[in-house]
This record gives sequence, C-alpha cells and structure tokens, in this order.
Amino acid sequence: MSGSGEFAEFLPAYLAEADELLASAQKDLLAVEEAVRKGQAQPRAVRELFRALHTLKGLSAMVDVEPVVSLSHWMEASLRLADQAGGRLPESSVEPLVEGLRAIELRVRQLGAGKAASPAPANLLERLEALGPQVRDAAPRRARAVKLDAEAAFASRLAPSEREQLEGGLAGGQRALRLDFVPSAERAAKGLNINTVRERVAKLADIVKVLPLSGAAAGGASLAFALLIITRAEDAALLDAVGGPPAVVRSLEAPAPEEGPSSDAAPDAGGLPGGAILEEELDEPEVRRGGGLLRVEVSRLDEAMEWLAALVVNRSRLTRAVAALTQAGAPTRELNAILQENGRQLRDLRSAILRLRMVRVGDVLERLPLLVRGLRRATGKAVRLELDVGDAELDKAVADRLLPALVHLVRNAVDHALESPEERQAAGKPPEGLVRLTCHTRASAQLELTLRDDGRGVDANTVAKAANAPVPDSADALLDLLCRPGLSTRQEVTRTSGRGMGMDIVRRIVVEQLGGELRMDTRKGVGTTFTVFVPLTVTLMDAIVFECAGRRYAVAVGTVEELIDVVGVVRPAGADGVGLVERRGAAVPLVSLARLLDASVDPGAVGQGAKALIVRQRGEPVAFAVDRLVGQQEIVLRPLEDPLVRVPGVAGATDLGDGQPTLVLDLGALGAARAGRRKRAPRSGEWVT
Amino acid sequence: MPEVLVVDDSKVMRDMVVACLRPYPDSHFTQASSGLEAIEQLSLKPYDLLVLDLNMPDIGGIEVVEFVRGQDHLRNLPIIIVTTRGDEASRERALQAGANRFMTKPFTPDSIQGAARALLEKSPAEASRG
Repeated sequence: MSGSGEFAEFLPAYLAEADELLASAQKDLLAVEEAVRKGQAQPRAVRELFRALHTLKGLSAMVDVEPVVSLSHWMEASLRLADQAGGRLPESSVEPLVEGLRAIELRVRQLGAGKAASPAPANLLERLEALGPQVRDAAPRRARAVKLDAEAAFASRLAPSEREQLEGGLAGGQRALRLDFVPSAERAAKGLNINTVRERVAKLADIVKVLPLSGAAAGGASLAFALLIITRAEDAALLDAVGGPPAVVRSLEAPAPEEGPSSDAAPDAGGLPGGAILEEELDEPEVRRGGGLLRVEVSRLDEAMEWLAALVVNRSRLTRAVAALTQAGAPTRELNAILQENGRQLRDLRSAILRLRMVRVGDVLERLPLLVRGLRRATGKAVRLELDVGDAELDKAVADRLLPALVHLVRNAVDHALESPEERQAAGKPPEGLVRLTCHTRASAQLELTLRDDGRGVDANTVAKAANAPVPDSADALLDLLCRPGLSTRQEVTRTSGRGMGMDIVRRIVVEQLGGELRMDTRKGVGTTFTVFVPLTVTLMDAIVFECAGRRYAVAVGTVEELIDVVGVVRPAGADGVGLVERRGAAVPLVSLARLLDASVDPGAVGQGAKALIVRQRGEPVAFAVDRLVGQQEIVLRPLEDPLVRVPGVAGATDLGDGQPTLVLDLGALGAARAGRRKRAPRSGEWVT
Repeated sequence: MPEVLVVDDSKVMRDMVVACLRPYPDSHFTQASSGLEAIEQLSLKPYDLLVLDLNMPDIGGIEVVEFVRGQDHLRNLPIIIVTTRGDEASRERALQAGANRFMTKPFTPDSIQGAARALLEKSPAEASRG
C-alpha cells in the first residue's frame, strides 16, 4: 500500500511532518517510560504523545497509508484513556507502545524510500488493542495534600490529567498559577500574539492548559487567555512574557481551610448560593481590593465614558425636544429646570470619570530606573537617575502618549549628553553623571516636567553644521534645529553633539499630539535642561477638518449630518450672510461661516463656499458654507479654560501638526450666534497664545 | 469574497484543507496552528467560515466551538469540524456545542467543498457582505 489518492502530491510534506511527530512522540514515550518505572504519573508527556499519534493518524488517513492509521489508532486509544486517568500508564503498556512507534517509523521510512508501506503486524495490533482495558485498570490516583483553587471557575474545563499535572506541580514544590494574556491588534502588530506568548511562557513554565475567556471573566477585555501553568519563575518574568499589564498572576493553590480570612466569610451553608458567588469572584481577576485601592482596567473606564457620551447625545436630543415644546407654547418651565440640573449632573459625572483616569506620574515613570540601568550597562557610563515627581497625577491617555517622549529624552541624556567618567574627571566633574527628572502640577491644569543632565551641553555649531543651517542665536532656535526631522539620521551629530536623536518625535508627541510645549536650555560643559509642559487631561475626538476664509477649522464628526457640494443655491446670501441651498428637494438655510466667524474679515479672503456641512440645530438642518474640506482625523481637543475666551460655538482648540492653533467649532451653538442673540466669535487665534 | 480560517496543528493538514477549498471562487484563507490562535484571529477580524480540527494542543476544537458560540458576533459563524476515526464521542459534543458540519479524515476535496459551499451560500454574514 502506498500514499496515493487525491492527496498524493502532499506525500513529501506528509513525510516531513510525520518525521517531526515521530521524533516528539519518541521523546515523550521515553519520559513516560521513566515515570512509569518510578510509579509516577507523567500527564504532560502522555497528553502530547496522544496528540502526536492522533495527528499522525489523521494525516495518514488523508494520504491513504492504512497501516500507520491502524497502528496509531490503537496506540492513541489507550493513551486517550491514560490521559483521562490522570496521565498514568501500567508498566506492561510501555513495551507495546515502543514497538508500535517503531513499526510506524519503519513504514514512514518505506514510504520515504518510494516503497509501499507494509501491512501492520496483526499480533502487534492485537496487543495494542488490548492496552485499553489495562490502562483503565491502572492504579487510581492517590489523593494529594495540596488542592487546587480552580474548582469553581475551571473544574469543568480541566481534564483529569491536567488537574493531576497542576496538583503534581504543587506537590513538587512548584507554583501553580494562572497568568492572563490579553490579545489585541496592536499587540499582534508588535508580534505579541497567543502563539509567541505561549512560546515565551513555555521557557519559564510548564503550560498545563490555556483557556480563552470573554466578558466578565476576561476582565472587561473582549478576549483574554488564561494560561494555567506550573513554574518556579518569578512573577515579574512571567508578566513580562505576556507583555505586561493588563496581565495578572494568580495562584491556583487553595489556601488551607483553617487559614485565611476567607474561611469565616465563605458561606458554606445557609442556603446561600455560595458556589455562584465564589465563581463570580474568581472571574474578576483584574479588580483587586487592598488598602482602599481598586485596580480597574482602563478599558472599563473607556466603557463608562462611552456610556456617558451616549447619555450626552441623548440629552441634546431631549434639549431639542424641550426647546420645540417651548416654541410651541407648552408650559416647560419645570422641564427646563430639570434639564439644567441634568446638565450639571452630567458634567459632574464626566469629571468624576475623568478623575478615575488619573494615574500617578511616579507610577508612569516606574520603568525609567530600569531603562537607565540598562543604558549604564550598554554605554559603560556612570549615571544616577533622580526622580522627584511627588504625588502629581496625569490622565492615563496623556501618560501613555508622553512616556515614549520621556524615554527618548532620558535615553538621549545618558547615551549622548553625558560624558564618559574619564572625560568628566578631566573636566573637573564628578565621574558619575546625573539625570534628574522633576515634575509638578501647575495651576493652569498643566503638568511641568523637567529633565536635567549635567553633561556636555549641546554644541550649537556642530548642530548647525550637521543641519546645514546658520548657527542658531537662541535656545529656541537651537531646539528647532534639533527637532528637524531627519537630523537624527546623521551619524556625526549623534556622536559629536550628542543631541538630535528622535527629538522630532519628542516634539511631535509633546506639542502636536498633546498640545503641550517643549523648551530647552543648554550650557556648554554644564548640562542641558528640557522642560515639558503637557495638559493634565486630553479629550480625543474624530474631527472633520476644513478651510474657510484662509483658515483651518475642525468640527466633531458626530455633529455633522452630511457634507454637500453647494450647487443649487436657491437664494444667495443677503446682508445677514444667510442664503438658501437646495438639499434633496428642500431648501436649507445656508450660512456663510466666514461671515459668521468674523464679519470684519477681508471680503476678498472670503471664499465662495464650495462645500457645506449640514448640522442640525433645534432639529432643523442648517448648512454652513466652507471653502474646502481637508480631511478627517483624530484630534486632541484642548478646551478653552479661560472663561474670558469661552465663546459659544467654539468647543476648543487643537494642533493639527502645523504648529498653528486650530479652532474646534461647535456648529450647533454657532448657529445660535447667527440669530444675533450672542456676541460674535472673536477672530481665531486672537486669544490662543 | 469569503474569508476562511483554517485551524489545525498540522501544517500539512491545513495545506490540504486550503487546497480542497481553493477552487471556491474568490475565497481567501488564513491559517491558524492552534485553537487559541484561531480565537485570537476571530477577535481581530471577521470570517465567513471556520474549518476546525478537533484535537489540538491547549484547547481542542470543541472548546473553540463552545467559545465561539458564546460570542455574540460569532454566533452564526459557519463551522466545519474535521475529525478522525476514534473521535465519534467528541463529534456528538461538538454538534451540541454548535458545529455545523463534520468531515472525517480521510475526506475528498469534493465533500469538503460541498460542505463549505452549502454553509457559505446560506450564511447571512456572506449575504450582507455581498
């Protein structure tokens, strides 16, 4: 009999994979044999041996190699039973299994040599078939002193051999742990997926089982994998292997009944649904109570924010409905009072949720000392990092974006700014360099971070030469040069001046992404100080960016109902700047946004309004004519904090990356200004410093 | 254009399944070498058909089916389970868990193609994709 049929073309690939499967099966069988001799269970090896044979059987069936199918079938059958018996095999079973494996190997060789596989020996098949009952009668599992705490959550999902393996690990002095990995598209893009995580963890631990979790069990993530492992490795190494937070490590060992505070709290009787409660608690690994602190996944806060956003949208619908009632002459005084109260409550709720998002700056910077330690080793420089960040807090969204910029700055300081110990001593400095990071919260809802080094300082001449530009005459001009994209690629700059590596990225994060500020002060031979100002919190939104009267503006995508080309102008704009445009057979008021924003603007600069954004105002569509659509992008909205410049129709400002402040408009409210009840909006840029 | 996820710990087996289904018009294939990888893939992108081996490391096909059917967005994902002789008991469990079809090794290209066609052409997911 030979490999033939539909899949004959797969024979070479089959032979290669069969070789691999046989090699791993042999290794596992040796481990089983040794365990059997010692009277021990070897659950992992039994399970893997079973799988290898099962795979081999299926493959052999596909390429029509019946002798291998029969041999692996009976071996697999007994191993399946052994797996169910906790990974135990009777001693008498080893010899037939070894012979079976050898018989399979022989037939795979025959196929590889272009011959037909000889039929499976009948007596060997019989002996293999007879293994089943022997395995079933093998010694029962002995009770272990240690118990697993996985009962409630996982009992039904663990095979007996998997339980045996976990308990055996505990009994052998190892730790039985649950380690969670939360996959995501971003992580996958970085090469962190369940396969690579599995490989990384396998270097530190025996993986007994991996369970996919969703919903509450996944701690708010849409998907998480719980790796049940036995190990001697440290928590930190394990957490690192799964890509860090939101991973957690939890013990699977049940506490001894007389120990632990849970014993008196656990209702073991009294008709309480104790099992269900226990299960719920087990399924909430990411919320850990302790010391008045609650650890919550960011995704849960985001979820709360999303619900809040839905509530806000609904509220504006309610406001419109009430306004319509008022217009129709209905008695809405009380309704309006409730609506106002409701608005205040929503704002309070919003700030409460935003406060939950604040993280301690000290926690954010936790990894910097480790970074410096690594740099010390890599560069051979003596360096001390001083962190003085107090209790300052920062929005998680800001912190996540800011950290890479700070890492860049610290890396630059150690890599390039600090001299070697010899150079420093020759210059009369202590051999150990100092990098000091301090921060404090400013009254203007900004965080000020200062990173100071006592290195060689930035040499303006060298930077100018490398950038092929005149020597800058101020610190700001020098920083501009350093932040030129591409400067970092010039080797001699990073080597000689010590600055310029990734500074464009640092500035992009601080200024363009976060709407903050970056300053530098440097003195030759004395050191360099970078000062970063970032807002404590940011609001991210998807915005449509457009041009109007020569300026750019942004508006939240969600508020725009439609974008239209202004073609069917029914009535051109009159003196009030309001005309009519046709939209699907109906006339819609067409407002010149340029006029509305600044009536005194140079008429020559006012475009004709080729496009219009349709926004609903009191339920009625209003078209705002603009000159050109630039595109759609995510922006960081900076609210205008100063009450003096709070203007109806302006939600805030943003930086689109061109360094110019751009107004984010609230067109619905701007429409109200149209009626002349409010003062006109100021010229853009007038009050944005 | 149907997106098909083929899951098997054996590379040869995955290649065989893809070879069988390749003639289906415009189909696009992704391979996963474990049930866990399959679950991860399913969380990252929509698929129109899942072809799943029953016996794999860590979690087997049944557990994948159970997990998939517990997810709202995957409730109607057509699933073909590939089994081997000896899997009869598991077959029943997989059916209860919500698998749509079985293919027992050895199967022919025609048989698995027929199963895929039947599932894809009545799948609401495919219909909505146009």
